[in-house]
Amino acid sequence: MSAASPAARRGAATRAVLYAILLVFAVIYLMPLYVMLTTSFKTLEEIHQGNMLALPGEWTLAPWREAWGSACIGLECNGVHGYFFNSIKIVVPAVLISGLLGAFNGYVLTKWKFRGHKVVFGLILFSCFIPFQIILLPMARVLGLLHLANSTGGLVLVHIVYGIGFTTLFFRNFYASFPDELVRAAQLDGAGFFTIFFRILLPASVPIIVVTIIWQFTNVWNDFLFGVSFASGDSAPITVALNNLVNSSTGVKAYNVNMAAAMVAAVPTLIVYILAGKYFLRGLMSGSVKG
Amino acid sequence: MSFLHINNVHKRFGETHVLKGVDIAIEQGDFLVLVGPSGCGKSTLLNMIAGLDSISEGELLLDGRCINDVHPSRRDIAMVFQSYALYPSMTVAGNIGFGLEMRKVPRKERREAVDRVAKLLQIENLLDRKPGQLSGGQRQRVAMGRALVRDPQLFLFDEPLSNLDAKLRVDMRSEIKQLHQRLKTTIVYVTHDQVEAMTLATRIAVMRVGELQQLGTPHEVYDDPNNLFVAGFMGSPSMNLVKARIVEHDGVLVAQVATGDTTLALPIVRDREALSDWCGRDVILGLRPEAITDPASANHRDGNIHEAELPVDLIEPTGADLYVVTTLGDASVNARMRPGTPLRPGERTRFAFDVSRMVVFDPESERRIRDEQVVDSALEETA
Repeated sequence: MSAASPAARRGAATRAVLYAILLVFAVIYLMPLYVMLTTSFKTLEEIHQGNMLALPGEWTLAPWREAWGSACIGLECNGVHGYFFNSIKIVVPAVLISGLLGAFNGYVLTKWKFRGHKVVFGLILFSCFIPFQIILLPMARVLGLLHLANSTGGLVLVHIVYGIGFTTLFFRNFYASFPDELVRAAQLDGAGFFTIFFRILLPASVPIIVVTIIWQFTNVWNDFLFGVSFASGDSAPITVALNNLVNSSTGVKAYNVNMAAAMVAAVPTLIVYILAGKYFLRGLMSGSVKG
Repeated sequence: MSFLHINNVHKRFGETHVLKGVDIAIEQGDFLVLVGPSGCGKSTLLNMIAGLDSISEGELLLDGRCINDVHPSRRDIAMVFQSYALYPSMTVAGNIGFGLEMRKVPRKERREAVDRVAKLLQIENLLDRKPGQLSGGQRQRVAMGRALVRDPQLFLFDEPLSNLDAKLRVDMRSEIKQLHQRLKTTIVYVTHDQVEAMTLATRIAVMRVGELQQLGTPHEVYDDPNNLFVAGFMGSPSMNLVKARIVEHDGVLVAQVATGDTTLALPIVRDREALSDWCGRDVILGLRPEAITDPASANHRDGNIHEAELPVDLIEPTGADLYVVTTLGDASVNARMRPGTPLRPGERTRFAFDVSRMVVFDPESERRIRDEQVVDSALEETA
C-alpha cells in the first residue's frame, strides 16, 4: 500500500461507500430485533419513559418468566409454554413425514419412472401454487370427517399435505442429478427398492434434507392461518397464542411480556437456521470437493 | 454347449431397432470384448446380459440356463460401471461388502472376503476411506473389488477405463489382463477403443449399428476381417484401402493399381479361388501399414514380397517406427518402416509389399472376398 495508484484509491473509495450503505441497511434490518430484545428485558415503568432505543437501565427476566408461565391468554393465565409445546408437537412430525414422503416421491419419480410420471410430478408441483386461503373450507370439512378438527393431529395432517408439493420438488430435482448407475449397481448387488432408497440415496442426500428441514420447519412453525382456522383453544400453536396474548387486554399493555413471548416464538426457527445452516454449507462443500 | 450364449437377441426401443439379432457364444474363461463406435448397441447388449435392460426377442443362456427373465441380482453376474458407481456414503469396505451384505453373508465371512479382495487389488490401506477421497485409479480398483468379491460366474465391464488418463489407462489395462489370467474368470467387456479390444480379448465381437460384424480371436479380426468396416475399425494407423482391378497376367492373378504414370501389379496369393471369379472387375485392396515396409525390413523367406518404387509424400517418425506416406491409386497409403531409414519427402524409394497379408473386398457389398477355407490352411498352401 506504499504507492497507491489513483485507480486503486478510487477502488477503495467505492468499497467504503458500498460497505457504508450495507451497514445502514443492516442496521435498519436489525433495528426491530434490537427493540424487541431490549424491551423484553425492561420493566414496564422504564418502557413508559418512552425511550425505545435505550438499553435497559435495570435488566430483568420477569417479562420472560411471565410470558412463559403466567401471562393471560384469553381467560387462562398459564403463559405460552403449553402452546410452544403444541407447536413442537405439530412441527416435528409434520416436517419428518412430509420430508420423508417428498424424498420417496423424488426417488420414485426419478429412478423408477412409470408411465405418466411427468403428469404426476406436474400435478404435485401444481400444489405448490395453491394459495392457503383456497383450501381452508375443504380442509375444515375433511378434518371434521376425520374427527381431527381442533387437534394438533389435524394440523400435522394439513401441513404434511401442504408440504408434500415442495418437498417432492426439492428431492426430485436433487435425485434427477443422482447417477442412475448407482441404482443399477445396487440392483446387481441384490438391493431391493427400499434398501436402495434407505442405504444408498438417503445417506447421500444431506444437503437437500437440510434445505427441506429449514423450509418446512419455518413454514410450519410460522404458520398462523391454518393454526387459527383449525386449532383454536388448547391445541393452538404458538403463533396463534402470541396473537391472543397480545390481544388479551388486561388494562395496561405489557409490551415487555409481549416482546418476550414474540422472542420465544421466534427462537426455534433461528436455532434451526443456525444449526442446519452450518450442515447445509458443509454439505455443499463436500459436494464440491468430490466434483 | 457354450458357457454364455447370446442367441439371436433383438432390442427395440419403440420404433428404433437397436440390436438386430446378435449371435455370440463364448466358453468359460473367455475374455469377450464388444467393440464398436458409439451407438452400435454394445452397451445395450451388456445391460441386457446384466438384466438392466429387457430382451425384446431372442434368448440369453448362461451355463445352460436361460436367464432372460431372471432378476439381475440372481443372475450370478457382477458389473463394473463406466462411472464406477461407488456408493458415496459408504466406506470402501462397505462398498465392496455391500453385495455380500445383501446376500446375508455373516459379518465375519464378509470381512474376510473384503480383506482378500482388497489384498488382491492392493487397496488394503483404503478400506476406511469414502469414495470421495479416492483418486480415479483407486476408485476403479474399488469398483473392480466390488465385482470380484462376489465371485460370480460372469463379469461385465462397461468401458471401465474411459474415465482415466492415458498413462493410468495402460496400467489398469494390463492389470485387468493379469487379473483375468490369474483368476480364469469369464469376462464380457465393452469398449470403443480397438487397442483395448486387441490387447485384452480372447474373443472380439465387432459391432456396428446393432449388428455383429465379426466374432473372432484378435488375430482373426485383425488379419482376416469380414468386411471393410472391421478392416477400417481395427488397427491404428488403420488399414490402407486402395481401389484396384483383378486381372490375369500370364496365368497369374494380380491386383492392378493404377498409380500416376505406372501401374502396380500385386500378385494374389490369398483367396485365389474366390478371386479368380473377379477377373476384370474392380475391387478394394486392404493392406496393413506393417505389410508395406522398406525392402531391408521385409521378410523375404516366403517369397511373398513384391517390391515397387513409389514417391515419398510424408514422413511421420513415432520413435519406435517410421510411418511413410505414399500414394497408391488415388489413396494415401501408410507404410511402416524401420526407424532411421534415410528418406526425404519428394524422393522416390522402394517399398516392399507383403502380398500374403493382402485382403480383398467387394466394393459394392463391402464384404470380404475370400475362399471357403480356414485362413491358416490357405496361408500354408501359398507358403
